[in-house]
Amino acid sequence: MRKVAVIGGGATKCGKREATWRELVQEAGKAMFDNVDNISPKDVEALLVGAAQPERFAFQVHVAPMVAEHLGIIPRKVISTTELMCASGQAAIRYAWACIASGIADVAVAFGVEKMYMPDMAEAQTNMACVLDREWDGVNAMSAPPFFAMTAQRHMHEFGTTKEQMALVSVKNHHYSTMNPIAQFQKEVTLEKALQSPMVAPPLNLFDCSGITDGAAGVIMVPAEDAKKYTDSPMWITGSGQANIGNAINNLASFTEWVPLKMAVKEALRTAKISVNEIDIAELHDCFTISEIMEYEALGLCEKGRGGKFIEDGGPYIGGKIAVNPRGGLLGCGHPLGATAILQTFDILQQFRGEVPKGRHVKDGNVAVAHNLSGAANVHSLMVYARG
Amino acid sequence: MADVEFEKIKRPENIKLPFMLDFYPLEDEKNTRISQFFANLKKGRLTTTKCQQCSKSLWPPRIVCPNCLSDKLEWADLGVEGELYAFTETKLGAPLGFVQDAPFCIGIVKIGGLLISARIDNAKYEDLKIGEKVKLKIVELEDGRIFYRFRRIN
Ligand SMILES: CC(C)(COP(=O)(O)OP(=O)(O)OC[C@H]1O[C@@H](n2cnc3c(N)ncnc32)[C@H](O)[C@@H]1OP(=O)(O)O)[C@@H](O)C(=O)NCCC(=O)NCCS
Ligand SMILES: [Zn+2]
Repeated sequence: MRKVAVIGGGATKCGKREATWRELVQEAGKAMFDNVDNISPKDVEALLVGAAQPERFAFQVHVAPMVAEHLGIIPRKVISTTELMCASGQAAIRYAWACIASGIADVAVAFGVEKMYMPDMAEAQTNMACVLDREWDGVNAMSAPPFFAMTAQRHMHEFGTTKEQMALVSVKNHHYSTMNPIAQFQKEVTLEKALQSPMVAPPLNLFDCSGITDGAAGVIMVPAEDAKKYTDSPMWITGSGQANIGNAINNLASFTEWVPLKMAVKEALRTAKISVNEIDIAELHDCFTISEIMEYEALGLCEKGRGGKFIEDGGPYIGGKIAVNPRGGLLGCGHPLGATAILQTFDILQQFRGEVPKGRHVKDGNVAVAHNLSGAANVHSLMVYARG
Repeated sequence: MADVEFEKIKRPENIKLPFMLDFYPLEDEKNTRISQFFANLKKGRLTTTKCQQCSKSLWPPRIVCPNCLSDKLEWADLGVEGELYAFTETKLGAPLGFVQDAPFCIGIVKIGGLLISARIDNAKYEDLKIGEKVKLKIVELEDGRIFYRFRRIN
């Protein structure tokens, strides 16, 4: 396997955008190519496009060739859309990485895009309810907010986690997203404001949930030995892990312990040859506040059941034990499904390059993980990155 | 204004609920090999497939056992009373087709050794408790299709 470098990237502003799906693609694609010297769209041999539900949100399929057309890319080795719901962007990253590592291609783009705002938002919610088993869970209106609400309820029931502890995750991530100019939400959230926000699905309030978001992003990869042709500050891909158990709610191994996450973490650390203590930055999939709490636990940052205490004690802040979501997370930046993993990865690159605002910069950060979950948290995907 | 033709065109004002916005499965034997599940439900019985080879109870009903790949499955009753394992109430973010019901409760019911998701009727979030008993309830759609729910007993 060849060592792989991420040499640059670009992204749109995220949020409720006055722009179509294809305009988001063009904005992010231009930003990506403008970010890297000595490369043109014609150099790209492999194009992977993370898009969760373009057929429902934008009434368009066969979207990877559409991205290629709009960006002037002529893929000669590999082209495909990758769908893994909330982890669709990470699927694109994994396949782009595999294309370079295997020698199939010498320049690959991992792209991600989602246009989620629709004229009738109930229709957007319909899309989100065919993610679990549509005929047996979706039919009960079981979409992400109720599923994670019940996860939170069980975690509170079994471990005594509190609503205040969950709200602290929202406070932290919204704090960092005030310093992210492309974030959907750029206002500070206080504990009181979070706790008093409208109820979505108890025990989850609005600020416990990531939003509905439009956005797109892309990153470019080449073999490590070619990186210096394009940049003095590449980022290496040093490890990865991914695991899945089941899909429907009834097939969960456990509600309060994400077994596939523990498997994926173990594999990511093994392949990167690091221990969890060596991670400086963790972009963890905080689609809901309870998710981040359970991720502290599965990563082994604290004991099982003590995730709430971990944030209360300041563990996941910059300057704490580990910087979790210094980008602002999904809670602060929004969650444009297919684009999310690419946005995380590009932000890590900018962290390593010292290109992010000071207040959210992790100084001397050398090792980072990016994590996405999907479905009823029954798939977990992780990438490990190192400063080049 | 340029000299070009303008014409107003018409599209149907109402269209039948399209299949792609209908959460309920097609239930009869022309469409599915587990139509027996719905036939049993019509008689007030909540059943699922059980593997004759490895004895595993499978949910949702299937035609091949994922545990041992046998296709010798039989129908088994799950009972009509379950226990609430977790629950919530959809207040915001209900999908099209369910918006008119909001707020409504949904939960995970422990029944016949399985954890299955379901609507919980006759209940407000504040009244429910983990471990509470709930009873099978059957709903009928306008077109004759049916589905299971649970309801609060008290
Ligand atoms: C929670 C949810 C149902 C709320 O939807 P909604 O009731 O339509 O709410 P809106 O999007 O209209 O937001 C209401 C207001 O709160 C704001 N808001 C929403 N989420 C916010 C957040 N996380 N932080 C700050 N503000 C937020 C919006 O900007 C909006 O403000 P405005 O009225 O000034 O424009 C919806 O955001 C949702 O479904 N989120 C989850 C998405 C999901 O499932 N993703 C997959 C995860 S696995
Ligand atoms: Zn079997």
